[in-house]
Amino acid sequence: MIGVRQRAGGLFDRWLKRRIPPASRLTLSHRQIFIVPTRAGLALLLLLLIMLIGAINYQNSLVYGVTFLLGSLFWVSLHHTYRNLASLELHAAGAAPVFAGELAPLELNLIAPRHEHQALVLSWPESQPQQLDLAKKGEARVTLYHPTRSRGWFSPGRLRIETRYPLGWFVAWSLVDLDWQVLVYPRVISLPLPPLAVGGEGSNEQQMVEGTDDFQGLRDYQPGDSRRRLDWRAYSRGQGLHSKVFAEPVQTTQWLDLEHTPGMDLEQRLSHLAGWVMQLELAGQPYGLQAGNTRIAPASGERHRDRCLRTLALYGYEQ
Amino acid sequence: MKKKALHKAHSLIPRNSLAWLLTAQIVVLLPHLPRLPFWVSVLWLGCALWRVQIQRMRWGYPGPLLKTLGIAAITAGVWFTERTLIGLDAAVMLLLLLFMFKLLEMRNPRDAIVVIYLGFFIIATAFLFDQSILLTLYQLFSLLVLVAALVGLQQTAGRNDPSRALRTGSVLLMQAVPLMVVLFLFFPRIGPLWSVDTPGGSATTGLAESMSPGDIADLARSGELAFRVSFEGPIPAHETLYWRALTLASFDGRSWSHLDFASRAEPRDWQPRGEPVRYQVTTRATQQPWVFSLRGATSDDERLVLTRDFLLRARRPLSETTSYSATSYLQSLLEPEDLTAMQQRLYTLLPEEVDPRSRAFAAQLRAEYADDAELIQALLRHFNQEPFFYTLRPGPLGVNTNDEFLFDTRRGFCAHFAGAMAFVLRAAGIPARIIAGYQGGEINPAGNYVLVHQFDAHAWVEAWLPGQGWISVDPTYQVAPERIERGIQQALEGEGSFLEDSPLAAARYRNISWINTARLRWDDINFQWQLRVLGFQADRQSGFFQRWLGTTDWQRIGAILVICAALVMIPLALWILRPGRLPRDPRRRAWARLDRRLQRLGLQAMRGEGPRAWQARLDQALPGSRRQIEAFFDEYVQQTYANAGDRLDRADSLRLRALERELRRSLPRRRPRGPIRALDSGDLPGESSRL
Repeated sequence: MIGVRQRAGGLFDRWLKRRIPPASRLTLSHRQIFIVPTRAGLALLLLLLIMLIGAINYQNSLVYGVTFLLGSLFWVSLHHTYRNLASLELHAAGAAPVFAGELAPLELNLIAPRHEHQALVLSWPESQPQQLDLAKKGEARVTLYHPTRSRGWFSPGRLRIETRYPLGWFVAWSLVDLDWQVLVYPRVISLPLPPLAVGGEGSNEQQMVEGTDDFQGLRDYQPGDSRRRLDWRAYSRGQGLHSKVFAEPVQTTQWLDLEHTPGMDLEQRLSHLAGWVMQLELAGQPYGLQAGNTRIAPASGERHRDRCLRTLALYGYEQ
Repeated sequence: MKKKALHKAHSLIPRNSLAWLLTAQIVVLLPHLPRLPFWVSVLWLGCALWRVQIQRMRWGYPGPLLKTLGIAAITAGVWFTERTLIGLDAAVMLLLLLFMFKLLEMRNPRDAIVVIYLGFFIIATAFLFDQSILLTLYQLFSLLVLVAALVGLQQTAGRNDPSRALRTGSVLLMQAVPLMVVLFLFFPRIGPLWSVDTPGGSATTGLAESMSPGDIADLARSGELAFRVSFEGPIPAHETLYWRALTLASFDGRSWSHLDFASRAEPRDWQPRGEPVRYQVTTRATQQPWVFSLRGATSDDERLVLTRDFLLRARRPLSETTSYSATSYLQSLLEPEDLTAMQQRLYTLLPEEVDPRSRAFAAQLRAEYADDAELIQALLRHFNQEPFFYTLRPGPLGVNTNDEFLFDTRRGFCAHFAGAMAFVLRAAGIPARIIAGYQGGEINPAGNYVLVHQFDAHAWVEAWLPGQGWISVDPTYQVAPERIERGIQQALEGEGSFLEDSPLAAARYRNISWINTARLRWDDINFQWQLRVLGFQADRQSGFFQRWLGTTDWQRIGAILVICAALVMIPLALWILRPGRLPRDPRRRAWARLDRRLQRLGLQAMRGEGPRAWQARLDQALPGSRRQIEAFFDEYVQQTYANAGDRLDRADSLRLRALERELRRSLPRRRPRGPIRALDSGDLPGESSRL
C-alpha cells in the first residue's frame, strides 16, 4: 500500500518536475497553476441544488433567479481565483546560512506586473504559512522560514503558493521549486575549549601574532577584519578605516582538529568544532582548522569563521 | 497536515469580516421581521450584542447546556406562534431563528461560511412570501452584502477597508449576471417534483361567497388591485366590461349566497354570438377557485373549467399569481331553450315571510305586465324615475332589507339595487340571480391593458327569459349611469366618499395628472414584471422559444443554449483573465515574447543581464538556433543602442518582428532532455550564499 503511494508520489514529482522545472525566476501561468473547488465550493453546489428543487416545486421564478445568479457567481469566481495567481512573478533572492535546527530564512521577491494579488498564502508542508497582498505593479520582499535538520546544502521542497480569494469557493495553487540553496552549518554544541596546541606543526614558534590583549598599533583595514577592532574614533575624524592591532603570544593560537575532537560520532564532533569556532571568534582569538584533508591556517574574522563553518558543514559531502 | 496548519494560522474571524456578517444578517432578516412576532427582533438584537461581546473578549461562547435550552426555547417559540412545527411557515421561522443563533456559535471561518450560506437560503425563502419588484431589488442588495462578507472572510486579516469587499462583491455579481440571464431563459421549466405546502396566505380582500347588501360597499373602500387584463384587440367600451366571478343564487332573507352545486356541472346549452373578444387575465393569489371573465367565455387553459352558470372556474384555489387566456362572445345566448324544473324552482325560490311590501309590489307589476321582458323594463324604469340614490354611505337596514330599501331609505350601493331587483323578479315568478364580480376598470395607456381594482367590485342581476336565456340587467345603471360608463370615482364625485379611508392610496389622486401618470407607469412595470419574470414558467418559456428560436424541440434548444452560454461565457472569461498589456515599444515587445517562449524551455535572462551576455548563454544552450539567435540579437542591439534618437520607423520594427518570429520558430518545442541547469546556474541570486 505504502509502496504504491510512494511510487505514485514519485511519478507525480517527476511529472511536476517536467511541468514546472526548477528555476530561480518564474512567472505563474496556466502551466504552473492548478485550480479545484474547495469544500466550501462543493457545499455551495449542494445548497444550489436544494434551492433549485425548491424553485421547481414552488414554480418560483425569483428562486430560480437567485439560484442561477449564485451558480454564475461560482463560475465567475473560478476565473477570479485563477487570475489572482496568474502573471505573478517570483524571484528567489538570497538565503543566509544557518545552523542546523534553526529556521532558514529564504528571501523571495514577489512582483505583480499586471494587476494586484490578494491573500496569497505561501507555505511549505513544515512551515508556518505566510499571507500577503500585492498592489498592482507592486513588489514585495518576503522572508520565508523553513526548518532545517542537518548540515550540508539544503534546498527546501516545492513552495506552495495558494489563494482562495475572492470567495473561497476555489483554491488555486502552484508548487514552485525556486532553486534555493541554503548552507546549513552543523548544530552548535558548546564544550569547554580544548587545551592549547592540540595540533599543527608551527605551534612552538615564539612569535607575536595578532591577538586580543596587548594593543600594538593601527594598520589599514582589510576586508575580514573584525568590526570590533575597527578604530571608529579615527574613522569619525575622517582618517579612513583602521584596525587596531593587538599583540598576543603565539601559543594562544588554537588549532582545532577534527581527529582530536571528542564526540560519539562524526556529527557530534562537527557540532563541537562548530561550537568552538563560535566561541573563539567571539573571543577574537585566532584559530586554525584541520578537518580531513582541509587545512585552514589560523586567523580570525567573520570571513575566516564562515570559511571554517562551511568546511564543517560540507565535511564528508563532495565539495 | 498542511490543511490543519493553514487552518490554525487564521482560524479566527477577522473583525472586518464580522462587521460584514452582522450587517448581512440584519439585511437578510429585515424583510422577514414584519411577518414574525416582536420577540424575534429582540432575540436578534440580543444575539448580535452577545456576539460583539465575544469578539471583544468580554463574554464567552454559550455552553452546551445553554445551547440546548436555546434550541428548545426557539422550537417552543415557533410552536406557540405557528401552532405547528411542520409546514413552510414554521420551517422558515425555525430557519431564521437558527440563523440568528448560529451567530453565537461561530468560532472559525467555516462557521461563518455556514451563516452566509444560511443567508443565501433565507433570501430564497423570502421570495416564497413576496415577489414584488422592490423586494427583489432589496434582496439583490442583501445578496451583495452576503457576498461582501464572503470576500471579507478571504481577505488578508488586518486589512481595514470594508468598502473594498463590497466593491469586489459588486464586480463579481455584475459579471455573474449575463450567464444568469441565459440560464434563466433556457433552463427547462418542469412541473413540481412533488406537491408542496404553499405559504399561508394573509387574509386578502376580495369577493366572498355570500353577500349581504353592505358587503360590496366594504370592498369598494379598498384601493387594492384585483386583477389586470390585456386585450388582444382594441379594449371594449367601459360599460361592456362586466367581469363575472360568481353567481349568487340563494337568498335567506338577508344575504345572497353562492350555491356550489349550481355551478358544478357542464353548461347545458349556449350559442356564442357576436365578435370574439380575446384577453388575458393576470390575477393575484386569491386562495379562491373563481376567476374573472366576460360574458360567454371559453378558455383553452387546462387549469380552468366552464361551469353550469357560465363562469370560468379554476380547478384548484389560486395559491399564486396566475395568468390565463380566455375568449368571450359578449352577445351569447345562455341556456336560451329552457330551464330544467329544478333550475326553475331554484331561481325563483324566496324565503317565506320577508319583505311583504316588495312582494306586493311584484304582484302589482305582474298584474300590469304579463310579458316578462316588459316587467323587467318597468322595474328598471322604476329605479330610474323614483328618487333612488347611489351612495357608499347607505343607512343601516332593519329586518326586511328589501322593503326598507325600496320604499323607505332608497339609498344604496350596487348590492342593494341588485338584491332588491332580484327579489322582486323572483317574487314575480321570473328566474333571476345575482352576479358578483367587477365592473369596468381603468385603462393603463402605458401598457394598453385594463386595471381592475377592488373598488370596481359590482353586483348586477341576470334574469331568464324564454328564447333569450339569461340576460344581464343592471339596476345601478338606471340610478348612476356614470358608474358604469366611467367608473366609481366619477359616480361618487359629489359625495367625496371614494377611498375616503385610505388617504395615501395613489388611486385616490387619479385626477392629479402627474401622480396618475406615475402610478400607471409603475403599475405597468409591475404588470410586465408579473407577466414576464414571475410568470416565466413552462408555457411562457415554450412561447419564448417558439417566438425567438422558432422551435420547441429540446435538442435544438439545447444546442442553442450551449451556443448562447458559450457566447456569454467565453468573452467574459477572456475579459476577466485579460492579460496585462505587453509593452508598447516594439523592441521590448519582441523581447518579452521571446522571453515567454524561452521560459518554457527553462531558459531565462538574469536580472540586469545585458543582451550580449544573454546571447552567449543562449548560444550554448541552443546550438541549433545559433544563426537565428545571432540575427535577432544583432538587430536588437543595433536598434536599441545604435539608434541615436529614440524614434523607430516602421520598417525597423517589422524587421525585428520577423527576426524574432524566425528565432521562435527555430526553437525546440520542449525543454531538451540534457542538463540545461548547468547553463543557468552562472550566478543565480540564490547562490550568493555559496560565497
